[in-house]
Amino acid sequence: MDSASIYYLGVTLFLFIVFAAIVARTYRKAHRAKGEEPKFRMMDDDQPKKHDHPET
Amino acid sequence: MNQQDGYADDIVKGFIIWSMVWGLVAVLVGVFISFQIAFPQLNFPPYLTYGRLRPIHTNAGIFGWGIGSFMAFFIYITQRLTRTSLWSPALAKAQLWLFNVVIALAAVTLAMGMNRSKEYAELEWPVASLVVVLWVIFAVNIVMTIVKRREEQMYISLWYILATLVGVAVLYLVNNASIPVSLTKSYSAYAGANDANVQWWYGHNAVAMVLTTPPLAIFYYFLPKATGVPIYSHRMGVVAFWSLIFMYLWTGAHHLLWAPVPDWVQTLAMGFSVMLIAPSWAAVFNGYFSMNGQWHQMRENYLVKFLIFGITFYGMQTLQGPSQSIRTFSAFIHFTDWVPGHVHMGTLGWVSLVLFAAIYYTVPRLYHTEVYSIPMANMHFWLVLTGQLIFSITMWIAGVQQAAMLNATNPDGSLHYSFIETMAELYPYWYMRAAGGVIYLAGLLLFLYNIYKTITVGKAQAAVQPA
Repeated sequence: MDSASIYYLGVTLFLFIVFAAIVARTYRKAHRAKGEEPKFRMMDDDQPKKHDHPET
Repeated sequence: MNQQDGYADDIVKGFIIWSMVWGLVAVLVGVFISFQIAFPQLNFPPYLTYGRLRPIHTNAGIFGWGIGSFMAFFIYITQRLTRTSLWSPALAKAQLWLFNVVIALAAVTLAMGMNRSKEYAELEWPVASLVVVLWVIFAVNIVMTIVKRREEQMYISLWYILATLVGVAVLYLVNNASIPVSLTKSYSAYAGANDANVQWWYGHNAVAMVLTTPPLAIFYYFLPKATGVPIYSHRMGVVAFWSLIFMYLWTGAHHLLWAPVPDWVQTLAMGFSVMLIAPSWAAVFNGYFSMNGQWHQMRENYLVKFLIFGITFYGMQTLQGPSQSIRTFSAFIHFTDWVPGHVHMGTLGWVSLVLFAAIYYTVPRLYHTEVYSIPMANMHFWLVLTGQLIFSITMWIAGVQQAAMLNATNPDGSLHYSFIETMAELYPYWYMRAAGGVIYLAGLLLFLYNIYKTITVGKAQAAVQPA
């Protein structure tokens, strides 16, 4: 295996770690309700909002 | 600019109408070239030959119909999911003009034989440069709209939209790197096997970033809108998105199995292609599970029929694709008619069914009316479904027969059939394919008439209403 292929596989491994971190974050218990919120909010998008993030 | 409801929707109307025009061109040319294969005497050199018309068919289909309608729905969806108006409607208007200029230039230059000989990247450098300008305008407008959004969290469709914008830009720039020798001719910046590797990294990821992520963005938006029920799991959608993005970009080399690219690159591409089944089917299951308790809508709601059959074809496509990427199977079906059968299940089945649903959903709302005829929409559905199935299934059978004939050997190891003998056996299948294309075209014409009437009725209603 030459240096190019090692580099190629190294990048793959790095991206896999990033991906695994995303999965862990998405599925952690604390994130459960917030992670599903957008699917309810998108059902009511007939008009633009007047203000930014009024829920905060 | 129509700012009713606070969204810039006139531009969406423009993109929808023009994408339908280019879609009609793509299917008309597609049907014609299917007849050219079945009846070679229909080739009229130099302009009306299969070689010149085939790239016009693919460019009009993928870029005219596909990208045109994706531009419409990205603008429509992004405004609504960000709950804000488009960053620059004027820029979007310029984008619509440039889009049509580019597609028209593509058709003319390809008919004249100006071609880089790279599949899905045929356009010579002056037209390709305009594509880059077009994409930058589009991407800036969408990204800036997302930046000024009034929703904190982004719905899954927006992630797919962003991936498309970034992915297409990277792929197009890298694969179109070339050295111009005149206004109408250039040579690739890469050579030999490297060129092939870059081309298929681009070619397969054009499937990812043009024929997968945009229809998924549209599907995730319009399925809940059509059913009135949120998608099953947003978090599953997010994880499926990131795994799709993580895996897709490594798969291009499966087009080069048994070719002189490093063996480990081929194996890596094969492995990632098979792994792609997981995120693809996560989207399919998300669609199916969203229908829990709603399956009766398949009977009652024509939009749901288009969307669910669309995602089903996506599921079948993403099982067939990884199977084809395995060395043994690839050796059998590569360079046979199996491949156009596979591709057209994706384009006519998955992508177009989802786009039909999105257009049926949005056009009546944009023109403040109802769809002109639901029975006509149902007839449209059955015609395009039948046409596409005849096309794909015929080509799969033709591919298996051709592969078996190409691999047949005599006891001394010599080939049993010559190449031309395998071709001669395929005529019945080519007649069937042309017939499938005609049925699909009939469905498309019905759809266009239905939308045309919806628009004209909507305009007439608007004209009689007091200001």
